[in-house]
Amino acid sequence: MIDVKNLHKSFGDKLVLDGIDEHIEKGEKVVVIGPSGSGKSTFLRCMNLLERPTEGSIIFEGKDITAASGKELNRIRQKMGMVFQHFNLFPHLTIRKNITLAPVKLGLMSQEEADAKAMELLSRVGLPEKADQYPAQLSGGQKQRIAIVRSLAMNPDVMLFDEPTSALDPEMVREVLDFMKQLAEDGMTMVVVTHEMGFAREVGSRVLFMDEGRIVEQNEPGEFFACPKDVRLKEFLSKVL
Amino acid sequence: MSWFAEVWEKFYKAFLEKDRYLAFLKGFATTLEVSFFAVILGVALGVILAIAKYMAANHKGCRPLGWIANIYITIIRGTPVYVQMLIIYYLILTARGIPAIISGVLCFGINSSAYVAEIIRAGIEAVDRGQMEAGRSLGLSEMRTMKSIIMPQAVRNILPALGNEFIVLIKETAVIGGITVLDVTKVAMNVGNSNYAYLTPLLIAAFMYLAVVIILTKLLSMFERRLAKSDRR
Ligand SMILES: Nc1ncnc2c1ncn2[C@@H]1O[C@H](COP(=O)(O)OP(=O)(O)OP(=O)(O)O)[C@@H](O)[C@H]1O
Ligand SMILES: [Mg+2]
Repeated sequence: MIDVKNLHKSFGDKLVLDGIDEHIEKGEKVVVIGPSGSGKSTFLRCMNLLERPTEGSIIFEGKDITAASGKELNRIRQKMGMVFQHFNLFPHLTIRKNITLAPVKLGLMSQEEADAKAMELLSRVGLPEKADQYPAQLSGGQKQRIAIVRSLAMNPDVMLFDEPTSALDPEMVREVLDFMKQLAEDGMTMVVVTHEMGFAREVGSRVLFMDEGRIVEQNEPGEFFACPKDVRLKEFLSKVL
Repeated sequence: MSWFAEVWEKFYKAFLEKDRYLAFLKGFATTLEVSFFAVILGVALGVILAIAKYMAANHKGCRPLGWIANIYITIIRGTPVYVQMLIIYYLILTARGIPAIISGVLCFGINSSAYVAEIIRAGIEAVDRGQMEAGRSLGLSEMRTMKSIIMPQAVRNILPALGNEFIVLIKETAVIGGITVLDVTKVAMNVGNSNYAYLTPLLIAAFMYLAVVIILTKLLSMFERRLAKSDRR
């Protein structure tokens, strides 16, 4: 589904991604962990070209998209949902509008179809009564579930999550992770940057450890956590577990 | 004569005698009119400037737009408004029979546009970067994201500042008498000329400016408070 080849990214003369080769299969749930500043977000943001790779290529569903721009780029992004640490809901729009804006403006659905889809998705996360409220009226956990729903309304082929629970109060982390787990069970292809090791272990089909712009080690979660090999990974795990 | 009678006499001569208050009111209407149309023109030109600067900052191919905008702004800010006004007046009026007030509106509108562009840029910048990213990651174009997501939020920052710009212009246009426009300051000077007493008519003009500025400032802060309230909904 996504092929990342020899990906390099620099900001000015600061090298942030230093040669990443990775293949993500349809239906996989790839969890990315690593210390702060190791390039996890940048890696994720290169996949949907929110950041332009300095070198290397991104191949999505068989097509090299590295140099995509304009309408083509917009079409590709419709197929890649992204969920941000700080939700990034649109504060001036109701929840319903937050969810339906993109599909309607992009001509994928009529307003009625989009509204129906929004209600269906909202019921799924147990928040149908919030449809006409504004983001400011919701708790953090509710906001993040709505943000995920907003991405889902586009019927994406893959979902990218950048620390979706890091900005939440501890008691709200569960509801978001549970919803993500449901998505995983429904077969969604997911790439998740997170510090939630429980989620990585339980939901991940593969865990990647990044450090200094490289993927230093990867494995299926059982093996990954049971017998880490890299010294820096051992050190990292001893701190977070 | 008592002090009070003396003051009354001066006031009577400057304001009431020969229906001079009509001239004052008409002059003040002209002041407001010039300021209002200048702000409208300033917004129109300021939007164009702001777009040029935005495009230049975000798209390498549009850099020359940014240079042009910067030259324009440098010239406007680097020369006195009064001189600009005279230049525009003689440029337009000597060529055609266009009323001086048009030159005035043009001058203050052009002048205001530099500030309005800055107001718009700051208003857009104050919107969280994540909003653009969220829009783009949903597959919306930059233009569409600007229109549906960024601008509606930026306008909340921009509108109050534009109100302020209008208030500033009301005061700045006081030099417009220099190109024969009968604004309230010019009327006060004319009254002074015919009475050989300038202080009272100028104080009257000053009071009129002050009153309107205070009222508009109050209205503006009420408007801002309402915006803030709807933000918290
Ligand atoms: N737009 C940018 N301009 C300049 N430097 C950047 C930019 N974005 C990221 N960086 C730098 O790149 C490095 C990697 O950042 P990145 O956000 O990918 O790390 P991360 O692994 O996601 O860290 P965290 O766990 O803190 O989110 C950091 O040193 C950061 O300062
Ligand atoms: Mg990050």
